[in-house]
Amino acid sequence: MDIIIIDGLSFALPLFIMAIGGIYCEKSGVTMLAVEGLQGFGAFAGALAAVAVSGIFAGNSPVPFYIAMVFAVAGGAVFALIHALLCLRFKANQVISGVVVNIMAMAMTAYLTKLLNRVIFGAASDKFVLTVSSKITIPVISRIPVLGAVFTNLYPFELVIVAVAFIAWFIMYRTRFGMHLRACGDNPHAVDAAGRNVNKVRLSAIVICGGLSGLGGICFAYSISANFSSSIYVGYGYLAIAALIFGNWRILPTLGACLLFGFARSGGYRLVQVLQMPSSFQDLVMILPYVLTLLLLVFFSRQNGAPRALGEIYDKGAR
Amino acid sequence: MKKGNRTWNAIKIPLFAILCSLVAGGVIIAVTGSNPFRAYYALLQGSGLAPKASYANYKNILTDFFSYVNYFTPMIFAALAVAVALRAGLFNIGVSGQMLAAGFTATILVGYSGLGSVLAKPLVLLVGMIAGGAAGALIGFLKFKFNINEVVSSIMLNYIFQYVVSFLINTFYVDPVSRQSAEVSAASRLTLMDTPVGGLKMDIPLGVIFAALAVVLVWFLFEKTRLGYELKAVGCSRSAARYAGIRVGKCMVLSMTISGMLAGLAGVSYYLGYVGSIQPKVLLSTGFDAIAVSLLGNNNPFGIIFSTMLISLIGKGSTYMKSTAGVDSEIASVITGIILLFSACNVYMKWKLERRRQEKLNAKDAQNGQGGV
Repeated sequence: MDIIIIDGLSFALPLFIMAIGGIYCEKSGVTMLAVEGLQGFGAFAGALAAVAVSGIFAGNSPVPFYIAMVFAVAGGAVFALIHALLCLRFKANQVISGVVVNIMAMAMTAYLTKLLNRVIFGAASDKFVLTVSSKITIPVISRIPVLGAVFTNLYPFELVIVAVAFIAWFIMYRTRFGMHLRACGDNPHAVDAAGRNVNKVRLSAIVICGGLSGLGGICFAYSISANFSSSIYVGYGYLAIAALIFGNWRILPTLGACLLFGFARSGGYRLVQVLQMPSSFQDLVMILPYVLTLLLLVFFSRQNGAPRALGEIYDKGAR
Repeated sequence: MKKGNRTWNAIKIPLFAILCSLVAGGVIIAVTGSNPFRAYYALLQGSGLAPKASYANYKNILTDFFSYVNYFTPMIFAALAVAVALRAGLFNIGVSGQMLAAGFTATILVGYSGLGSVLAKPLVLLVGMIAGGAAGALIGFLKFKFNINEVVSSIMLNYIFQYVVSFLINTFYVDPVSRQSAEVSAASRLTLMDTPVGGLKMDIPLGVIFAALAVVLVWFLFEKTRLGYELKAVGCSRSAARYAGIRVGKCMVLSMTISGMLAGLAGVSYYLGYVGSIQPKVLLSTGFDAIAVSLLGNNNPFGIIFSTMLISLIGKGSTYMKSTAGVDSEIASVITGIILLFSACNVYMKWKLERRRQEKLNAKDAQNGQGGV
């Protein structure tokens, strides 16, 4: 039981921060399917930074990880500019643009990883090897039965994510900027009339989304795979989008959806272990989050509260 | 506007996109210290469009070319699948998953059955179409009935297919040596492998004939039939189509079904044509590259032939390029990505061109007006 909670949380929280990024972008009225690519590119930038500085610090030092986090956020944000350029400047179809960004991210990170490994580090490898982040246990509270598991064997990034998520929530619902952002998604003309530049607000939303996705990506790279390679693209970005749709574009319900995915996944893995099934059954367990997503969408997509101007290109002259 | 002029305008933008991407790719290759012209020539050589320096036994430029045709056949089907959905305003990003589902179903039903070649080959096509069509129809149905974004549902299905097929292969059909699914019977393969023709050993792809047929049929559907017209109307504006009395839901499900059937054909022509087995846990990039191909071809069936040949050229030739010009084969997908990036801007470029034409006309009118006074 404890293991299910511990593993579930370490999967759900990176997913959650990516979903928040998606909420920011979609709430501002820009369809965001590029989370997958953004998290991958963010993870690439972070992993590159971590590998580059790893020689300076001792083997178990947590500093490279924090440097990686910063670079992952920056990398994701910069790469998101492509989506912004296509959607805002060139008025491209936002769904297509998102897919283009994903494909670009996969192609570029695969190429660059190989190239940089050869040129800078002199190794023929298609991955950056990272360490698995060390875990911490919070002393007193972790002894509470069942609930204590939440505070046991935490990855440090989980605390960072919770903090960032809270700030993101605060900005979205308690500040003027957040209000403008939400208004851009529902009634961009009103925002324009109020004297705010719609495209600027949307640009910042896309960049925020890129940063948060990058953060999620590097957390996955440090926890699940312990390296950066093309195996980072396993669809968690899309899972995050499903979570935010299921959460009705609101941050707190989305957290619930992410936790559900996380526990379904860790629960399934545990089941395979407990019943001592052959390892090929893990493939069957892997489909759990996806099947769950589809089923939930069947029930919740009907009355979904998508932002009203979602996916529409803002045209000042239109009525 | 004259017809020829319009065709030229339609071609101008993709050509521009290709040119930009090749230049961008060339710059990347040059920066990393290789000769871009040699790299691009190696792409042609690898695809049998230019002679190589030397050939192995029983091989020459023609075998390379046939192998290239064999390679791009699935891509034509896949790009048509994307185009049919896009024309109706839907985005089928699940082509890869549908290919896998169709390829796997055909493999276990026909590929392992031991049927004779006359019966097996048509059956493979049929099973592939049915399986792919069913997967596509499911996505369309979910969209129509439950308002589920087709992008999300098809991606979820991609992963579900990938893992379920991987599980089934590893449990029942695995070849212990290759760690892939056991090879399908030669009778069911859509490519006649290593057929001796005039002192050469060639892979003759039969699928390409059906691909050509599919191109014509899709063109016919959209240009000459009522259903095609309705699909296009739904793609242009869902609400306008509804007011015109078109049953939008039916159209969405139908277009996804047709799209899925084409994806199924892509699947069988890959898994039971180009290769003879399925690698577990791997989703092909064909379905995603097909989006680039379709966009580049303006979603026009005949345009798709050319864009398929181009994009496949980059993919197919990249292995040879790596061995001769020393350029990482991953650059191929980077170039494809850049092409995609430029073609995503086509609406903007079209608008820009149109505006420039208008301005020119206006200027001319103003001049004429002055001359008249």
